[in-house]
Amino acid sequence: MELAGTEAVFFYILALFTLVMAIALVTAPTAVRGALYLMATLIGVAGLFLLLHAEFVAGAQILIYVGGVVVLFIFVIMLVNIRAEINEPFRTYTRQRRLAAVVVIVMVLGVWYFGIQQDPFHLVRQGPVVALIPPPGAPPPPVEEPTLGGRISEDTQEVGSVLYTKAALPFEIASVLLLVAIVGSVVLARTRRQEETFD
Amino acid sequence: MELVERIISNPVMMEYVWKPLVVILILLFIVLTLVAYLVYAERKVSAFIQARLGPMRVGPYGLLQPLADLIKLLLKEDLIPAEGDRAIFKFAPIMSVVCALVVLAVIPFGWGVATITDINIGLLFILSVSSVGILGIILGGWASNSKYPLLGALRSSAQMVSYEVAMALALVGPLMFAKSLSMTAIVEAQRADHIWYLLYQPVAFLIFLVAGVAETNRTPFDLPEAEAELVAGFHTEYSGFRWSLYFLAEYTNMLISSAIAVTVFLGGWSFPLLDRLRPEHPGLFTLLSILVFAVKVFVLIYIFMWFRWTFPRYRYDQLMDLGWKWMIPATLANILITGAIIMIGQETLGLTKVTGGEYGERLVVPGLAGKAYFIGMAWLVLVPLTWIILAIINRRSYDFNLRAQRQIRLPERPATDDVFGKV
Repeated sequence: MELAGTEAVFFYILALFTLVMAIALVTAPTAVRGALYLMATLIGVAGLFLLLHAEFVAGAQILIYVGGVVVLFIFVIMLVNIRAEINEPFRTYTRQRRLAAVVVIVMVLGVWYFGIQQDPFHLVRQGPVVALIPPPGAPPPPVEEPTLGGRISEDTQEVGSVLYTKAALPFEIASVLLLVAIVGSVVLARTRRQEETFD
Repeated sequence: MELVERIISNPVMMEYVWKPLVVILILLFIVLTLVAYLVYAERKVSAFIQARLGPMRVGPYGLLQPLADLIKLLLKEDLIPAEGDRAIFKFAPIMSVVCALVVLAVIPFGWGVATITDINIGLLFILSVSSVGILGIILGGWASNSKYPLLGALRSSAQMVSYEVAMALALVGPLMFAKSLSMTAIVEAQRADHIWYLLYQPVAFLIFLVAGVAETNRTPFDLPEAEAELVAGFHTEYSGFRWSLYFLAEYTNMLISSAIAVTVFLGGWSFPLLDRLRPEHPGLFTLLSILVFAVKVFVLIYIFMWFRWTFPRYRYDQLMDLGWKWMIPATLANILITGAIIMIGQETLGLTKVTGGEYGERLVVPGLAGKAYFIGMAWLVLVPLTWIILAIINRRSYDFNLRAQRQIRLPERPATDDVFGKV
């Protein structure tokens, strides 16, 4: 995919925003702040989906992850420890600094090797901002024929039909997995005393 | 200097930055004024229902009351709880308001220029952005560091997550006819077919209306701010301007809920016989379409306000039971039965056809026989069937049956004391 013009500008802004928020998420001092940064990260990713013209996926991402999952996260965090973490903050960093440093170096080298040496992704060579500001005498840029809002892009239809045909089995397996996770967490969270009370 | 000039006055910036900014300013001015007068309308309606006069002092008939309220709110002291999370406390109401206002961009207020934007995931966009708005309430309650706001926030998050499911599922029925998520396409489909989807989808409309009341935290679903138990719920610790931001969000959400209901079920800005004006007087048509939309929205808002003074507040268990045992099964049954009705009408009877138009594919019911079939099936089959399914699911529940609740007897304790008691 070639990046140029406004698309490139938006891509870099969104990508940077997502990365910064992801770093803020893992270094957040309290769990509620962490959930907020997670929300920001997910919104950034939804913006990246929009850039890929996957509008439906972007909408579903916000509806399910931000509106559902993060809300439930915060719900659980508020139920579990309301003031405990402020009184005694948990350790954000472990002592495995050397291991972490090695992993990061390997990853950076890998990105450098595959991304820049082999150049599989057609990186942008020209400054993206140039396209935004045409020189004074230049003719106005051709106005694209606006696509009507009603059309659902074919990708979305394809996602839908694949979900119900080829991906039906993995989809069902994933839902059973989620159910198992919910049942398991309930079983783990209930104490023996509660069980006896309910029985 | 020249570079700055080039950035400001180039056609791309003109099209994508300056023009939208002007539109946003105009829209915000209109909507915020409208919301201020919604508060006034609420007070007047409640006064009317209770045989009072309502605000009468400021201006003729109290018409300047919103202005006086605004000045009062701006001048109030802005209190922040000492032990609370200050940043989140400040951020939460802003989040609520932003999520409510962003949605306004995709609502078709009328034909032509009054449709500000039309994106192909319009309805999904509205649902997802308003689901983020819940976070504003939860975080505001949490950051206050006080028990009543926290309880209010917990209640509201549970309530909103539950009713959002019913709300989204209720919209699937009409979408089967419109075959598009774009708001304009939904209106166009109803206009071209000379029908309101209310006639095809009565169950979905009712459920959407109830879920809309619950989503906006209004009576009978105003448990998050039940004043008898929780002082003021999640905004107990808020004062002055931040408090008014929450109210702004709430009233804007009310406006949005009615706007979605009007667009999806009541034909949006279209009205019978009005179409003849369009070729000759497009300007007049645009104006009239805005007027039609506004009248429909205000009728629904009046119904919301009417609810408030008619129904008492639900108990918390009743609220959850209504959401999970009645509304969600009803929406699922509605989807299934509507699908069957459409399939029979399409495959067996051949009453419909799918056409591609300006706005993509949609289901068209050309003849009068087809319309009679769909309306008849909806009211004579869909409604009773859904009713029966709900009755079967809830045959042993006492949720709303006060008579049965009174007759529940607690299991009697074994009367050991009486027989072998004092040995």
